[in-house]
Amino acid sequence: MSSPSAVAEAVGAAPDPRPRRAFRVPRPGYLVTKLAAAAVSFGVTLVIGFVLFNVMPSDPVRTMTRGRPVSEAQLAALRVQLGLDKPIWERFFDYVGNTLHGNLGYSWEYQQSVASLTLSRVGPTLLLMGTSFAISVVLGLWLGMRSGWRAGSLFDRVTSSTALTLWSVPTFWLGMILLIVFSVGIGPIHGFLPTAGMSDPTLPQTGMTHYLDVARHLVLPALTMVLVVYAQYVTIMRSSIIEEKGSPYLLTARAKGLTDDAVRRRHALPNAMLPSVTMIFMHLGGLISGAVTVEAIFSWPGLGDLTYQALTIPDLPVLQGTFIVFSASVIIMNLLADLAYRVLDPRVRAQ
Amino acid sequence: MSAAQTATEPVHAEAPAAAPVPPRFAAARRFARAFRGRPAGVAGLSILLLFTLLALLAPAFIGPDQLDVTKVNGPLLAAPSGSYPLGTDQAGRSVLLLLIWGSRESLEIGVLATVLTVVFGSAIGIVAGHFGGFVGRALMHVTDWFIALPSLPLAISLAAVLGQGSASITIAIAVTSWTATARLVRAQTLAVEARPFVERARALGAGNWQIMLRQVLPNVMPLILVSSTLTVAGSLLSEATLTFLGLGSPTDVTWGEMIHDAFFGGAFTADAWWYLLPPGLAILAVVLGFTLTGRAVEHVLDPRMENK
Amino acid sequence: MVVRESRRIRAMLAAACVSGLLVAGPAALATATAARADSSTGATSGTTLRVAMDSSGVDTLNPFTAYFNGALDLFGSIYPSLTSIDENGVPGPYLADSWTLSPDHLTWTFKIHSGLKWSDGQPLTAADAAWTLNLIMTNTVAGTANGTLVSNFASVTAPDATTLVIKTKQPQANVTYVSIPVSGIPIVPQHIWQSHVADLKDYKNDTFPVVGYGPWTLTDYQTDQYAKLDANKSFLLGAPKYDHLIEQLYKESDAAVAALKAGQLDYINGVNATQFSSLQHTGGITTAQAAGDGWTGLELNPGARTRSGKPIGTGNPALSDPVLRRAIAQAIDKKTLVAKVIDGQGQVAAGYLPPAWPQWNWTPQAGEEQSFDPAAANKMLDAAGYKTGADGIRVDPKTGKPLNLRLGIHSDSSNDSAISTYLVGWLKAIGVGVTIQPMSMTALNSDLGKGDWDMLMDSWTTGPDPTYLLGIQSCSTLPGDDGNGGNTDAFFCDPNYDKLFAQQATIFDPAQRAQVVGQMQDILYKADVDQLFYYATNKVAASTKVTGLVTGKPDNGFYPAQTSFWSYLKAAPVAQSASASSGSSTGTFVGLAGAVVVVGAGAVVVRRRRGADDRE
Repeated sequence: MSSPSAVAEAVGAAPDPRPRRAFRVPRPGYLVTKLAAAAVSFGVTLVIGFVLFNVMPSDPVRTMTRGRPVSEAQLAALRVQLGLDKPIWERFFDYVGNTLHGNLGYSWEYQQSVASLTLSRVGPTLLLMGTSFAISVVLGLWLGMRSGWRAGSLFDRVTSSTALTLWSVPTFWLGMILLIVFSVGIGPIHGFLPTAGMSDPTLPQTGMTHYLDVARHLVLPALTMVLVVYAQYVTIMRSSIIEEKGSPYLLTARAKGLTDDAVRRRHALPNAMLPSVTMIFMHLGGLISGAVTVEAIFSWPGLGDLTYQALTIPDLPVLQGTFIVFSASVIIMNLLADLAYRVLDPRVRAQ
Repeated sequence: MSAAQTATEPVHAEAPAAAPVPPRFAAARRFARAFRGRPAGVAGLSILLLFTLLALLAPAFIGPDQLDVTKVNGPLLAAPSGSYPLGTDQAGRSVLLLLIWGSRESLEIGVLATVLTVVFGSAIGIVAGHFGGFVGRALMHVTDWFIALPSLPLAISLAAVLGQGSASITIAIAVTSWTATARLVRAQTLAVEARPFVERARALGAGNWQIMLRQVLPNVMPLILVSSTLTVAGSLLSEATLTFLGLGSPTDVTWGEMIHDAFFGGAFTADAWWYLLPPGLAILAVVLGFTLTGRAVEHVLDPRMENK
Repeated sequence: MVVRESRRIRAMLAAACVSGLLVAGPAALATATAARADSSTGATSGTTLRVAMDSSGVDTLNPFTAYFNGALDLFGSIYPSLTSIDENGVPGPYLADSWTLSPDHLTWTFKIHSGLKWSDGQPLTAADAAWTLNLIMTNTVAGTANGTLVSNFASVTAPDATTLVIKTKQPQANVTYVSIPVSGIPIVPQHIWQSHVADLKDYKNDTFPVVGYGPWTLTDYQTDQYAKLDANKSFLLGAPKYDHLIEQLYKESDAAVAALKAGQLDYINGVNATQFSSLQHTGGITTAQAAGDGWTGLELNPGARTRSGKPIGTGNPALSDPVLRRAIAQAIDKKTLVAKVIDGQGQVAAGYLPPAWPQWNWTPQAGEEQSFDPAAANKMLDAAGYKTGADGIRVDPKTGKPLNLRLGIHSDSSNDSAISTYLVGWLKAIGVGVTIQPMSMTALNSDLGKGDWDMLMDSWTTGPDPTYLLGIQSCSTLPGDDGNGGNTDAFFCDPNYDKLFAQQATIFDPAQRAQVVGQMQDILYKADVDQLFYYATNKVAASTKVTGLVTGKPDNGFYPAQTSFWSYLKAAPVAQSASASSGSSTGTFVGLAGAVVVVGAGAVVVRRRRGADDRE
């Protein structure tokens, strides 16, 4: 998610208000259109996913059984079991059918269905992403509002340049540095945070101790994500506030005798929030997939880590499965962003 | 105002609809003057010039023997010293020389991926903008589909499927980032085509291609340039990320590869900060350089963003 | 108007927060459910040994279908086997107290220890062993992982609770290696498994605690995270000194090392050279290395062909010339590889079987060693008609093409990439051009099987019984004519070798068998198809709070196959202090502090807003 291309992309995808406003379709119709578009989009994703992971002829059977005394008949049986003996079109229909039934195939590496593998990883990813997302949004919007209101002040300059610098840092590298400093310890600093995983298996896996333990494990990965991600919200909020600041209605509000603070909160903020909220929704979808490197560095048992682990073999069914899950989350969140935009923008809502 | 308007994205929907084609040089001079007035941009540009210079001059002072593991005989993973200002890596090579040499391939991948992105994205954008109707809508649908694909997983999957190496990384980056350019360029194309001089050209019998290449492209160009500086920054980060995930070629020398080697080769355990820090800082510096430059250019071109 | 506006901000902020919560909420729930309320996991009193699981992880807990080392290590700890490998590296008692072989070398009779009980209290008898082995022999799914180990078995019966009779079709020397901990067949409780025969393929075996018998009992397992085990204090071969064992998975060894240094882990088996060198000087950590149980080397494609002799693949035909292969062997400076790539922690390799198993030790006869001698290699190539072209690359006299070879390396192996850069330089010195092709494991193995390669980096490890490793060099492992099947290592095929391979399997005198195996190693050495570089030592690092770990000796010393089996069994805490929890409390406070700061910041934002409302 640290990739600016992702940012630009998300922005690019932001609903362009002008054509939409001209587009006077009553709400249920609008919803249906949007849903249909999302469904088509998902269908295309399925096709792209299949093509992507099946163009390369690959025979994982030797890799799976390497070093084990396995006879040829067993290898052949394994190939049949994985469906590698079928013609490609048959595999495609199997794949579409299976995906729609929530069956994402069978992992080459783990003797498990991809669906159960991904499902068990969704929780940790949501926990990590949800936490860092909530913190980044609050922190980013607050800083952005402050620095936008006082654009050019020392506070603004410090905030903006810090945000810009952190945003330019490769996420995984930042994670590595934090890991070395706070977990392993360097020089006089003694490492005090866990190095990997989501919980300490020596502690009981239930109750308060467990939650505190998970929180402890969460600190570094979440911090890494926040440091890299919050900058985007600062930038958006800052420029929206600056836009709003020049608006004539603020002058009116000031003329009414409202304090600076009140003008900011009552008038500037609500309008400036609009693009930010849209943007935030756009980000939500990409968020899940944003953690691949962070989860890899901290061995956080989530979807990103699963993707990373699947790369070495590469375990194509798992990569395909996570790819579908990531895409679906983007599509759903984009849909929500569209709807949220309609609900939140009074000009659109009025129609 | 446009919801799509942020500092990271130069939307110029109604941007410089300036006087029809002023003399080129005057414009450039005015641009340079305005750019000089933005210290952050100047700093960014200086960083970029410095690294470009280093990358170009590297072969002049780094011989192949100094990076060939069979030829070097430095101590393994040694801390910085007089003869090795940034210490050595696991094979006894100077980290400083690796860093300088790495700038070549890293920048090359970044720039190449950007060129691919920009060429492809602009082509789609201009065509989609110029031909409204079915073609335009179809192209925009395709773009939307690609936008819905999560970029990092897509890049990872592409690189995994295409096989290791800088070529597949470059392609993966381009495939995942062209959509932004396409959307931008389409919006701008629509704006340009609404202007009277295009109308005039059309009336004078100019064909589709003529309008796209002669009228639209020159007017979209500044925007493309701005967006490409930001794309390079993104490409560099993506390159580092993909290489770090093990999708690069282990025999290449890039910054991402250096971090990968350091992290997976035990530098971590040996507390070899001199091996871990420099490549990351180099990436940071160059990405920041591109971003600052891009933003400065953006502000200069679009004075509306001048808010003080 | 103003009021409505302000409500809208709050609504929006709420929306933003709720979306965050929406995301975090189910997650917390998921975590809560993931943390199964297991009665046994609550009891964490007593001492705990925390070890790093084999980085391959666990593919499944079903011992009939699992391939990964992480899983095999676990089975070694929780399921019994007929024999174990004793400290001299030869089969010793486990379930079987003793065994006899009939004069015709076809019938083995094992005396099973009486009075043993599975962890659920049911009796463990010879019938369980007979049932398990029979299932593997007769059921294809059950034979997934270990079928070939019993392919020569004619029948397995349990005439009474303490007698197991195995009849083989042909005399078979390694029957006592078939069921050993970790690399052999684990015996499972019949009363648990017989109801799962029908759905054996999908049976996950994840009801905790898993019913078994061994030094440990598996009480919890989280995919790709950890396995928790409790000690079996009445274990036959001696009770474990620790009360609990936790195997934690670190996919990257650096993460494991970081955890070891931070005191969150006690033992790592298999650190790399760089890590080892630095851990040697780290306080609170002991290190040890033992003679390697594997080699790293280079395969040359001698002309890939199918079993019936049909050439396949795109291998460079020049490599079918033994002169070129020998020249390549002499161009490689193995000593430098040992010194630079593995920091001197290993020995230069010659024999195909690694030094961890001294019983198979073989060294080339005096005068037949292939030493590093590029000049001689060049002379040899000149004499064979390989003329040097203008660019310094030799030309193959048979095809007239320049000698450019592809070198496939594992992209995830840092050793491969380090070695490959050396090879490029050395082969250039004898006029052979090399292109390095980093590949994923699957891509590399798939190219290997199809013969689409010139040179590949390769490495293998083996247990005490060398049958499998020797087998992958036999003609019968070549692919069929349809290009499928076969698990050949490098398309090596030599009838003499195959004859010896069949012969050694039937020799029961260890010294005689070793001699035949030695002849086989000689054939491999002279063929230069598998060029072995080095045997890296097996390196372990452990906290000084643990003692008694079985670590072996750095040179020719024994190194038990079941490192995990014996090490975890013999490991003992140095001092009975509750050291495990000392570091964690600080962290908890920091974590808490972080949470407080975040919540606090949020509160400030909210409160200030409310303040502004009040002022209105």
